[in-house]
Amino acid sequence: MKFQSQAVAKPYFIAAIVLFIGQIIFGLVMGLQYVIGDFLFPAIPFNVARMVHTNLLIIWLLFGFMGSAYYLIPEESETELYSPKLAIALFWIFLAAGVLTIIGYLAVPYATLAHITGNDLLPTMGREFLEMPTITKVGIVIVALGFLFNIGMTVLKGRKTAISMIMIMGQVGLAVFFLFSFYNPENLILDKIFWWWVVHLWVEGVWELIMGSILAFVLIKTTGVDREIIEKWLYMIIAMALITGILGTGHHYFWIGAPEYWQLIGSVFSAMEPIPFFMMTLFAFNMVNQRRREHPNKAAVLWALGTAVMAFLGAGVWGFLHTLAPVNYFTHGTQITAAHGHMAFYGAYVMIVLTMISYSMPMMRGRAAANSKASQTVEMWSFWLMTVAMVFITLFLTGAGILQIFLQRMGDSPQNFMVVQERIQIFYWLREAAGVMFFIGLMTYVASFFVKGKEATLKG
Amino acid sequence: MLNTSTKSPLPGDVAMWVLILAELSVFALLFLTYAVNRQIHPELFFNGQQQLHPIAGSIITIALLSASFFVALSVNLFKQQKSRRAAYAMWTAVSFGLVYLAVKSWEYQQLFDLDIGLSTDSFFTFYYLLTVFHLLHVILGLGLLCYVASKLLTSKWHEPNIMESIASYWHMVDLVWLILFPLLYLVH
Amino acid sequence: MSEAFTKSMARNIFFGGSLFFFLVFVGLTIHTTRELPERDHRENINEMVVLGKKVWEDNNCIGCHTLLGEGAYFAPELGNVYTRFGNSKEAIKGFIMSRPVNGIPGRRSMPQFNLTEEELEGIAEFLKWTSEVNTANWPPNIQG
Repeated sequence: MKFQSQAVAKPYFIAAIVLFIGQIIFGLVMGLQYVIGDFLFPAIPFNVARMVHTNLLIIWLLFGFMGSAYYLIPEESETELYSPKLAIALFWIFLAAGVLTIIGYLAVPYATLAHITGNDLLPTMGREFLEMPTITKVGIVIVALGFLFNIGMTVLKGRKTAISMIMIMGQVGLAVFFLFSFYNPENLILDKIFWWWVVHLWVEGVWELIMGSILAFVLIKTTGVDREIIEKWLYMIIAMALITGILGTGHHYFWIGAPEYWQLIGSVFSAMEPIPFFMMTLFAFNMVNQRRREHPNKAAVLWALGTAVMAFLGAGVWGFLHTLAPVNYFTHGTQITAAHGHMAFYGAYVMIVLTMISYSMPMMRGRAAANSKASQTVEMWSFWLMTVAMVFITLFLTGAGILQIFLQRMGDSPQNFMVVQERIQIFYWLREAAGVMFFIGLMTYVASFFVKGKEATLKG
Repeated sequence: MLNTSTKSPLPGDVAMWVLILAELSVFALLFLTYAVNRQIHPELFFNGQQQLHPIAGSIITIALLSASFFVALSVNLFKQQKSRRAAYAMWTAVSFGLVYLAVKSWEYQQLFDLDIGLSTDSFFTFYYLLTVFHLLHVILGLGLLCYVASKLLTSKWHEPNIMESIASYWHMVDLVWLILFPLLYLVH
Repeated sequence: MSEAFTKSMARNIFFGGSLFFFLVFVGLTIHTTRELPERDHRENINEMVVLGKKVWEDNNCIGCHTLLGEGAYFAPELGNVYTRFGNSKEAIKGFIMSRPVNGIPGRRSMPQFNLTEEELEGIAEFLKWTSEVNTANWPPNIQG
């Protein structure tokens, strides 16, 4: 660790991992509810479990992104963080807001929560992924502003690199597009169109800048390849990501009431969206192949390569599978979407945060560069367990989706939704089994932090 | 591929060629979907085409080809260290680009007068998306040409990489029109 | 000669390209919002539809159902439920009202939300209005 203040990232990462565990537990609950319909009913209805699952994901990824920025920005800027105290204060505020929100979801019916948090004054709740009370949303904005101020001031007083600039642009974009979550018109169609300005422009827009900058940072550190080369690749990758991704928003506008020309625009531009992910895979493997040093943290390199591959598979390939309008006409709103969502989020965003944690945590815990060999071995086991489990989850959901489309959307006598769900149960059981495997992988990951042993050292 | 020290056979910057390749892929996909849709609705596309002005399209083609010629000329003059003459050639290219803008606006005006818009039918959805998308590229390209032209006038400027990259971009825009024009206006 | 692949060119393409396509996106979005009134029939959004959307949100219906294909995939699509239920608001209201508090043993169950008559009317009006939006013929059939 080059600067003391980088250590503020540590609580952020710990919170991220703890909330990640919570997310997966609720994922398992939902998976079980898919096959045992009345499991935990009416205490935790499916919609509550899902809200907890998705919102925990968002909160812990935001913890991960902020932690990554707090670690990365001082090192890139070659100066201490502007205010470590502010970073710690914001950590507690954000954690309190997040945990209270989740408790609110679980403790009272959603309508009651909406009522007591003043949703009647400024209704923003009850929309997918943006279920948190308006007051939590305000809290997120305040935390984001404080965070941006902190890293912005740090960059201003220090060295300005492409990596830190892109990281800041990504974080600013994240905050700016989140503001659309406060726009909730009475017209559902307008609501939907601008809802995607948060959701799509996050995950297929500004988040990719954050992902790119973290990946570039870790690759510079672990491979020793010239910064100049890494940074120009980074620019090209994110250029392609935004050039294809911004108009790619059109693939969400096919069937929600928007004019039909979006079918053309959305199909063409999102057909190109795999390109930046493919470039990212090429980039990661090329840099590792051209490495000028052997970094002792093998686990971090594995995560970095893994995220590039899995993001390409999940976001690129599985996205492309159902993005063309004539295909999407049948797949829209089925388990195919769920399959894509799971692998894309895991590959692109879960794994990039775990890459950063894997790289930085050993140093924040007082090691020179890496954990012990034994610890890394356990961590790599967790990588494979989680990644293979996610591949299976995706394949089973894809199978469920194909059958669902075939039975419910095609042919002369399409069947009722609930009937079809009964008939494809086997896939949901298999998915749940893969989910258990994922959870075991996650526990293995947590265990890797407690494996002791002599630190792996630098050579060459 | 990643090694920057070897001289690339491409004029201009590899980064620009990545962009050009991406842009051409987008246009190629648009042309492909156009062709498929035309196969499905031949009559509708034929009727739509009757509303267009092939002569206006031809003027635009000539204007764009001339602009490309002057851009190429400018690059050559620039390489011979004749910055001032290169600047003049570049401004001439810009004025041909303005001819395109003028004729295209007139064409749009004609269609608007007939109350034909983006959502009139699938032919005009393609027509507007393709031509407006191309038009925006021309405007961007003209902006870049103006930038180079004004830089050339300040004599000391010597950036062959930028010059060649921008020229390549302009030729790409021109090339797209050369496919777009017959596809939309002529092929029945 | 110049370098074949420069960072400054890559950076300019990133900024220029992103800005260019973002502006195109904004332009198209403006065009879309102008064309929307013909497709969403907003003249039919009355007080009950507005109330219905609020009820829809306050009870997190999207957490199980899809609406025009967006939401959760646990329960049926509701964008066309009005037509699926035989163009009957009463059928929608009856269904919501009659959900057993403790669910149906072994099956996916919808909670009993204890909605008032006005709220029920609102949600039914909201779903009726939604079913009339021009969605380019989606869903493919009545099953959603």
